[in-house]
Amino acid sequence: MKINKLKSLWHLPLLLALAVQFWPLIFMVSTSFKDMNQIFQASLNPLPMPATMVNYETVLNNFPFFTFLYNTFFIAILVTGLKLITSLLAAFAFVYYDFKYKEVVFNSMLLTFFIPFTVLIMPNYLLMSKLGLLNTPWGVILPQLVDGMGIFLMRQTMRGIPKALLEVAVLESASPLQVLYKVVLHLVRPSVIAVGIFFFINAWNEYFWPLLVLRDKAMYTLPLALQMFISAEGGSEWGIAMAVAMLTCLPPLILYFVSQRFILNTFMQSGVKG
Amino acid sequence: MNNIKLKNICKAYGKTVVVKDLSLEVQQGERLILLGPSGCGKTTTLRMIAGLEAITSGELEINGRVVNAMPPGERNIAMVFQSYALFPHLTVWENVVFGLKIQKLSSEEIKKRAAEAMGMLNLVGYEQHRPNELSGGQKQRVALCRALVKQSPYFLLDEPLSNLDAQLRQQARTELVKIHEIFKPTMVYVTHDQTEAMTVAHKIAVLNKGCLQQVGTPNEIYNNPANTFVAGFIGTPPMNLLKAHLLYDKIFVGNECLVLPTEYRAIIGERTTVVLGIRPERCLLEHSPMVKARISFIENLGNQRIARWQLKTGEEIYVSTADHKYALELAKGFSFEWANVCFFDTKSGENLNVKGSVIKDENCC
Repeated sequence: MKINKLKSLWHLPLLLALAVQFWPLIFMVSTSFKDMNQIFQASLNPLPMPATMVNYETVLNNFPFFTFLYNTFFIAILVTGLKLITSLLAAFAFVYYDFKYKEVVFNSMLLTFFIPFTVLIMPNYLLMSKLGLLNTPWGVILPQLVDGMGIFLMRQTMRGIPKALLEVAVLESASPLQVLYKVVLHLVRPSVIAVGIFFFINAWNEYFWPLLVLRDKAMYTLPLALQMFISAEGGSEWGIAMAVAMLTCLPPLILYFVSQRFILNTFMQSGVKG
Repeated sequence: MNNIKLKNICKAYGKTVVVKDLSLEVQQGERLILLGPSGCGKTTTLRMIAGLEAITSGELEINGRVVNAMPPGERNIAMVFQSYALFPHLTVWENVVFGLKIQKLSSEEIKKRAAEAMGMLNLVGYEQHRPNELSGGQKQRVALCRALVKQSPYFLLDEPLSNLDAQLRQQARTELVKIHEIFKPTMVYVTHDQTEAMTVAHKIAVLNKGCLQQVGTPNEIYNNPANTFVAGFIGTPPMNLLKAHLLYDKIFVGNECLVLPTEYRAIIGERTTVVLGIRPERCLLEHSPMVKARISFIENLGNQRIARWQLKTGEEIYVSTADHKYALELAKGFSFEWANVCFFDTKSGENLNVKGSVIKDENCC
């Protein structure tokens, strides 16, 4: 496609917006490779000269980085997996079964979108406290296991499956779980992966709720650990903080790039109707 | 006895009644065709038999048992869907053995059944293909194969050939009949294609707007339609329907005064008007015709020519002839034999011959 010269002027504000977006990221990357002297130079030079790995060495040697990484993974993977299961099961029920007040139930579930997270903090906190789950990973995981958005997205995809495919399975006396497992799951796989990535990144970046629940530093997730280096704790070690930030960003990024190829693949495979 | 019996079946969605008081019986090994225009309730009826649609009222009996409340999986019914409904994520082989695996048959039995059915349907060599790599005809055969391996005594088909092109359709329906002759399941087949119905059926049930119009052999339906709807629905071109007035033993057709033989006068009774039905191929082209008319259009189909005639009353009829040498342009009108005429009531559209049965169905077996 040819781009009209006049129209290409519109790209300028877009490029500007892009630069604004990328500026902090560029500084995160460059600062993580700078030593203290370079960081506090007045110039806005994004290139570290010379580049140093000191910050990374400090993070990996002097801090329990891998404990934080493990904690974050543990929570993010469990939240993602379990939330996918609840979303799939609920969405399947909304598609497969006909029951009274189905639309009412579904719509009231959609209403949960409009309840701000902050409103739920108190009741959730009290509940976790009563269950004795404060300061445990389970206290972080449990309140995140059901998500209206996930159910909504999965239901929309499942509604696109031709009904005859489900009926074939029903006529073969497949149980509802067999229909879900042997038919539906395969047909909605691209969406499951996309929603899974979405869940994982959200769970990975979650800051506020773990901050309330987790007290013990050994339990901290990476986003929590990050603030240790910026606050009095680490004495605002910017280089180290940025190195931790880099390492925190990496896993979701890698996951995204790896699964992106997979998503494209599955989309191509499912491009044909039965 | 693997028969299927429908007793006063009704189906309604809210206030819309889709199937009205339908009673039908399909004998073991019989091919029953549900025929009708779109929206007549034939697919709904089939889905009720399969259990995919709840029955609003009435009783459905399979093999002598009332199965209204039986879940579809327990009815042991094999079904072929219009869209074929092949699983896109499975290979042809996996599609075919899908149901057998759920039923947990032994792997030898599964292999034996699938290999046999796939051989019969010329699918050998396609086992590892996915549905998107198959042509329409192959997909249709895979769908049929999946139904066959179930070895169910009941076979339901929902417009199985409607997505195929004309040539393939003819081939496929011959295959279908052959396969039915081998396994002889009780078959209910839904179609809107009358050629398919005539060629495949042992018995045809014609439906319109949810009401059963007529059940009978293809010959009965063709030669002795129960009412004007069936007469106008079956046959290409359909049966000609002409208004006629009666006066004593005279009948006026297209402004021509004809003498009506007394035995037919008896069927018509006291009526002063009646609808005459004549099949296009039963109209005779003669130089001194009974009914004068002029040709408005001729269609040449190769094996026959179809002429559209306009009568003096403005009514139009079709006359078909296989005689290629006949100079249609010179014809002045057409004649017919009274034995080939159906008389219908003007108001109800019912065939007056059916009960009295003056006309004998020569070809009926």
